[in-house]
Amino acid sequence: MAGALRLSGVTRRFGPVTALDEVDFALAPGEIHGLLGENGAGKTTLARVAAGILAPDAGQVEIGGQPLGAGGVGGARSLGVSMVHQHFSLVPRFTGFDNVALFDAAAWTRRGMGSPGYRERVEARAEELGLEVQLDVPVGRMGVVERQRVEILKALMGETRVLLLDEPTAVLAPQEVEGLFAVLRQVARAGAGIVLVAHKLDEVLAAADRVTVLRRGRWVLTGEAAGVSARELAEAMVGAGVDGGGGGVGGGDAGGPGTVGGGGEDVPKSDGMVGEDAPKVGAAGAEQAPEPRAGDDVEVARLRAVTVSTGGPIPLRGVSMEVRRGEILGIAGVGGNGQRTLAAVLAGMRRPDSGEVQLPEEVGWIPQDRSEEGLVNEFTISENVALAVHGSDDYRQGPWLDWASVGETAAALVRDMDVRADSPATPAGVLSGGNQQKVVTGREFLRSGNLLVAESPTRGLDVKATIAVRARIAALARSAERPPGVVLISADLDEILELSDRIAVMVRGRLIPVPREDHNPTAIGELMLSARGDAAP
Amino acid sequence: MSTRSRALTPALTAATALLATLAVAAALLALGGYPPGDAFAALFRGAFGTWDRFVSFTLVRATPLLLTGLAVALAFKARVWNIGAEGQLHAGALAAVAVAVALPGAPGLLVIPAALLAAAAAGALWASGPAAMKTGMGVGEVITTLLMNFVALFMAQFLVQGPLRESRGVFNQTDEIPAAAHLPDLIPGTRLHLGFLIGLLIAVALWLYLTRTPGGFRLRAVGASPRAAEVSGRFRAQPVVWLAFLASGAIAGLAGGVQVAGVTHRMYEGLSPGWGYTAIAVALLARLNPLAVVVTAIVFGALSAGGGAMQRDAGVPEVWVRGIEALVILAVLTVDRSWQALAGRGSRG
Repeated sequence: MAGALRLSGVTRRFGPVTALDEVDFALAPGEIHGLLGENGAGKTTLARVAAGILAPDAGQVEIGGQPLGAGGVGGARSLGVSMVHQHFSLVPRFTGFDNVALFDAAAWTRRGMGSPGYRERVEARAEELGLEVQLDVPVGRMGVVERQRVEILKALMGETRVLLLDEPTAVLAPQEVEGLFAVLRQVARAGAGIVLVAHKLDEVLAAADRVTVLRRGRWVLTGEAAGVSARELAEAMVGAGVDGGGGGVGGGDAGGPGTVGGGGEDVPKSDGMVGEDAPKVGAAGAEQAPEPRAGDDVEVARLRAVTVSTGGPIPLRGVSMEVRRGEILGIAGVGGNGQRTLAAVLAGMRRPDSGEVQLPEEVGWIPQDRSEEGLVNEFTISENVALAVHGSDDYRQGPWLDWASVGETAAALVRDMDVRADSPATPAGVLSGGNQQKVVTGREFLRSGNLLVAESPTRGLDVKATIAVRARIAALARSAERPPGVVLISADLDEILELSDRIAVMVRGRLIPVPREDHNPTAIGELMLSARGDAAP
Repeated sequence: MSTRSRALTPALTAATALLATLAVAAALLALGGYPPGDAFAALFRGAFGTWDRFVSFTLVRATPLLLTGLAVALAFKARVWNIGAEGQLHAGALAAVAVAVALPGAPGLLVIPAALLAAAAAGALWASGPAAMKTGMGVGEVITTLLMNFVALFMAQFLVQGPLRESRGVFNQTDEIPAAAHLPDLIPGTRLHLGFLIGLLIAVALWLYLTRTPGGFRLRAVGASPRAAEVSGRFRAQPVVWLAFLASGAIAGLAGGVQVAGVTHRMYEGLSPGWGYTAIAVALLARLNPLAVVVTAIVFGALSAGGGAMQRDAGVPEVWVRGIEALVILAVLTVDRSWQALAGRGSRG
C-alpha cells in the first residue's frame, strides 16, 4: 500500500550545518504521527522538505506513492500536502475569510475571488471541524490562537492527503489542545496522514498513533505511541539520561509545581547566571512553589481599574493588580484575551485610557514573538543586547557607545544562559529558536531590577531550553537580594502552575484572581474558558 | 556564517558587479563597432590618465555623487526610501545661490557657511513634506520623494527664468555669486574644491555615527526592524524616521550648495545630470556603508570623467557611458540579490 508520505535518505544542509542527515520517515494514511526532537533537531526542516518548501540535497520524497521531485510547494500542494507553520503564513491586512480563500483555487472564478457559495462552504467546513474562526476580522488584529485557527482552516479547505503541523500546541490552553486534537482525529479518520511536530511529550503521546524522534538531524527511533514512555522519548531526544528530570520533562503531571526544581538541576552548565549578583538555580528552583515570604512585601507595580479600549481589538476592562518583589504572578488565559495589551501596559509601552498605573522606571519584557519583536535578526547577539543597554551611562564613553562593554555583557550572557553560538558576534537570525529565546531572556534580565514581564517565554522551545528558561526565571524571582516581581503571562498551564505564587486568569479583557485552593489545571482551565461564550459588553 | 565571509561579501559583490558590467559593456561596444580596448583605454586615461585628470575631473565629478550617495545611504539605512535626493539637491542649490547673491559684500568666512547652511536647510525642508506624510498618514515615501523632485526641478526652472534670472537677462540662469562665496581650492593648481573634503568628513562622521553612537544604533535598529526597535529597544521609531529624512535631505541639499559654490558659481536649468538618482546606485553599490560610498562615488565620477574622453579619443558617444552606468546599477542589483539568495539558503533552519 502506498504510504501518505515517505522520505527516504533525505539530507538537507544549510551552509555548514546538516539539518537532516539521511533521514527515513514514513507516514501512513489515517495516522497521526508525532515528530519529536529538540530545537535544531531537524523537525521543522523535515516538515518543510515534505511540504516542498525546501528541496532535499539528497534523498527522495514521495507523496501518495508519487515522487515530489522538483515540484516545490505547488507540486506538494497539488499532491495534497498542506502545512501549518509555527510562524503563520497569513496576510495580516486580509480578513480570516480572505486568507482562507487566497490560496484555495475553489474560491476563484475567472473574474476574481468570490466564487458563489464559497463563503458558505468555508463556514460549513469550520463548523464541521469545530473551529471557531473570526472570518471577518483582519488577521493582523487577531491573537495567535485565532490566527492558528485560520491557518488550520486554510490548510484543510482543499483535499488533504498529508497535513503537517509545526508546533501547533505551543500557544493553546489544555482544553484547546484537546479541541485541536479532536479536529486532527477527525481529519485522520477521513484518511489523511498527519505529522504533528511538537515538543510536549505527554501531548504527543495522547494524540499520536506513532512517534518518531530526531536528534541533531538524524533519525533516532520510531515506535507505537502506546509502546513508549515519555521518559524513553525524552532520553532519545536529548541523547543522554535525563536523571532526576523526569518530572520536568514529562511536563504534564497534574501536580505541576516543583517540576522546575527537578529540571533545574539538569540544565547543563547552569552554574553561572547573568551578572555577578544573579541568583543560583539549584536550591532556589527546588522550592515547592513557596508561600509568599514576609519581608518581600514591597510592591513594585500596581494597576488600578486600568481600561484600554482604543487601538486594538482586544481591550482591557478594569484590570487591577499589584506585583511584589520576589513573587511570580502567573496570568493564565487563552491567547487573545487581552494579554498582549496588558503586557504592553506593564512594560510602559501603552498608556491606558483610564485607570491608575504605577510602574518602575525600567521593566524587563520578554515579548511573545521573539523573531519579530524580541530580536533584530540581522543584528549580532551583541547588538541585540545593546537594544537594552544603549541608553545607559554604563555603556557610554562620552558620546560613544562603548561596544567593548556591550561585548563583555553579551559574552557573559552567552556563557551564563548557555547560548549555543560561536561568539557574541553571531547574528541572532542564525540561532535556533531556543538559543534566540535565551538571548532575549538574558537581555531582559538586565532590565529586570524591579519588574519582569514574561510573555509565553517558552513558546516553541524544546524540553531542555524550556527547563533552562523556566529555571532562570524562577531563580531570578527567588534571588536573595532585591528580587524583582515577575508577571508570567502564558497559555501553558503547566508553566503557570510550576512557577507561580499567585495566579490570575485573563478572560475577555478582565483579570480574575484564582484562589489558592483552585491552583489546579481543571479549575483554572474551566475559568479560562468560562466566560468565553458571553457576549462582549 | 562566519564573520569573515560577512565582511568579504560586500566587497565581492561590488567587484563582481563591476567585472560583469565591464564584460557586458565590452560586448556591446564591440557590437556597436567600437573596439572595446580603445574605448576602455580612453575612458581610463580620461579618468585616471594624469594627476590633473584624476583630481580636476574624476574627483570634482565624484563630489556631488559622494554627498548625494551619503544622503541616500543614510536614509536607506533607516529604511527610509528617499528617492528625492535630486529634488533636495536642487532646493539646496537654489538656497545657496539666493543667500550668496543676497550678501554681496560679505567676507567668505561668513557667506560660505551661510550659503552651505542654507543649502542644507533647504534640502531638509524639501524632505520634510514626505517625512510628515509618511509619519503622519503612512503615505509611502518612494512616491512622495520622487514627485517632489519634479516640483523642485520646475521650481528651479521658474526661478532662473523669472525672479532669479541674471541681470543681463540673456540666459536662463542666475547671476554669478560673489567671488567671496566661491569655495576655496582644496589642492592648489587643480579645480578640486573644499566640497570634496566636506564630503569626506561627512562620510567619516556618518560612519562613526552609525557604528559608534547610541543614536546611530537606534537608526540602524529602526531600519532593520521597527517593531523590534520599539518593543525591545523601548524607543519610538517615528522620531528616528524623521531624523533620517531631515538629515538625508540636508546632505543632499548640501550637495547642491557645494556644486554651485564650488563649480558652477551660479544656478541654471539642468544643473544636475541626475546625480540624485545615480546616488541610489552609488549607495547600493557601497552596501550603504558611508566609507564605501567614498569609493563608489569615485568609481562613478571616473565613469563620468572618462566618458568625455571616450567620446573625444575613441569616438564613442557619451550616451554609451550613461548606458554603462545603468549597466553597473543593474549588475549591482542582480549580483546583490544572488548573494542574498545564496546567503539566505544558509540562514534559516
